[in-house]
Amino acid sequence: MCVDGDGAGDGDLAQEHEALLQFVYMAPAGLIQARSDGEIAMINPVAAQLMMPLSRDGDLSNLFTALEDIAPDLRSRLAAFAAPQGMVCDGVHLLTPGAAKGERRMFSFSLIKLDDSRIMAMLQDITWQAQRERLLHHQEAWLNAILTGVADYALISLDARGCVTEWNESIGRVTGHGTEVVGRSMALFYPEDAITPERVLDRLHEAEQSGWSLDDGWRQRADGQRFWGSAMIAPQRALAGDNPLAAALAADDDADETGYCLIVRDMSGHHRAAEEARHAAVCDHLTGIGNRRAFFDAAETELRRWRRLPRPLALLLIDADLFKGINDTHGHPVGDAVLRHIARQMGATFRQIDVVARIGGEEFAVLLPSADLANAQRVAERLRAALEAQPAPTNAGPVRCTVSIGIATMDEATDSVDALLERADKALYVAKRSGRNRVCGPAALLIEPG
Amino acid sequence: MNTHIALTFTQPELLDHLLALDASELDTLEFGIIGIGADTVVRDYNALESKLAGLSKERVIGHPLFTVVAPCMNNFMVAQRFEDAAAARQALDLTLDYVLTLRMRPVKVQLRLLAGPQAERRFVLVNRKP
Repeated sequence: MCVDGDGAGDGDLAQEHEALLQFVYMAPAGLIQARSDGEIAMINPVAAQLMMPLSRDGDLSNLFTALEDIAPDLRSRLAAFAAPQGMVCDGVHLLTPGAAKGERRMFSFSLIKLDDSRIMAMLQDITWQAQRERLLHHQEAWLNAILTGVADYALISLDARGCVTEWNESIGRVTGHGTEVVGRSMALFYPEDAITPERVLDRLHEAEQSGWSLDDGWRQRADGQRFWGSAMIAPQRALAGDNPLAAALAADDDADETGYCLIVRDMSGHHRAAEEARHAAVCDHLTGIGNRRAFFDAAETELRRWRRLPRPLALLLIDADLFKGINDTHGHPVGDAVLRHIARQMGATFRQIDVVARIGGEEFAVLLPSADLANAQRVAERLRAALEAQPAPTNAGPVRCTVSIGIATMDEATDSVDALLERADKALYVAKRSGRNRVCGPAALLIEPG
Repeated sequence: MNTHIALTFTQPELLDHLLALDASELDTLEFGIIGIGADTVVRDYNALESKLAGLSKERVIGHPLFTVVAPCMNNFMVAQRFEDAAAARQALDLTLDYVLTLRMRPVKVQLRLLAGPQAERRFVLVNRKP
């Protein structure tokens, strides 16, 4: 090694090398360099610290394998990235399983394609930031609800049970309903499979607790036509103070019974951008259905509601049978087509209110609000039969892939999403062991030894 | 000199033996040794550990272990165990499987965590798996 213009000799270079090494040791973000098949070439301490609890048996030799449980679509994302180099994903949020000694964590993950043979990844624990961000988002949604331009809105007063108390012109204008709506539940403004009687009461309760409750989504007019709208509910007493309209609505209200104010806004034309942003954050890249984050968010909310007011709630855990064999025989692209087929069938089988998500490589979960065991078994069986009857269209021709389904229903003894999942997983295990392509509920566990 | 020191990674009562050795004697042992005080500042850093991690003693000794040297051990598996043992005023002698990123390569190792009940001296020992 020769001495260069700055006079740096071997000793200085060794010093610099060591300083660089320590710089990467101390870097507060996880950094990984890997081959394009995921084989890790270099990894710094923070990356190892974050990934070790996720990886089965603590093996950190392959990035994709180590992250398989929380980001099953990484391989397909990289494969689908056509440019010679660039950002494959930038700050994607990944939700970890609840570790034995800790809470669920939220990671931010970025993947950069350096060239055809090398990738780089960055991993950060952003659990706290994510919580703050969600609060901010909530506030922003509220401001948006008030401030953004809307095509039109209906102002509806509800009684304590969520039934419409009187008709006015704005209801007719926005929803097309006449005076026959009086006395009927606010659920009639939603498509039939998008709300349940229990969810109506949940929303009223949430409005009572936090002063308001807001949800965006499809609404339905009297003629059955759908429109993108938001529904904001506020207790009338809370609104009456600073809102003359609500005060007017509340004026002839019975003083000792809580009433609510429901504002249904027609957001036609606004939903696409909002929907695209939401889609990117909560949908699985490969299949387009919900991702782990969406599932666990929804499941936590649903369990909170359950604890306040127990009602039927079922969970399906669905696993593609012998999926590894399909990948091995036909290759990953065919495997991906099979997963997309399963996701499509799921979309066609479940209701809008159900939470349908891909939570692992070939593992899916569906949360069914207001569904008891018999409901859950019926709909699970319908999915199983549909997939048995209809092979997935793939580049290698039709490929049949059946599913095994485990069902768990919520009860007093179940205290967390993970506990509910674990019970569904046990039922799924029985379904697998007794020959696959079948649905097993909690009863199957009773006759299963061990 | 290294003839009379034949300590092994798995040896019982290792803490007492280590406390009796000076820096040059620690250098002769065939596993990595990081000694820290109750304040987590590094006091001992033997030659093998220095070679494995690629960091010289000068860069490490006198600095807090979990921020400057090994942030990957600042978790419930390592740092917390020392804290828990100290809080309970109990001795700690625990061996666990771990992955270290020695010179940025993921390396499977065994760690042995040692601390006396007074906890003023603590050791993290590193043994590369065969």
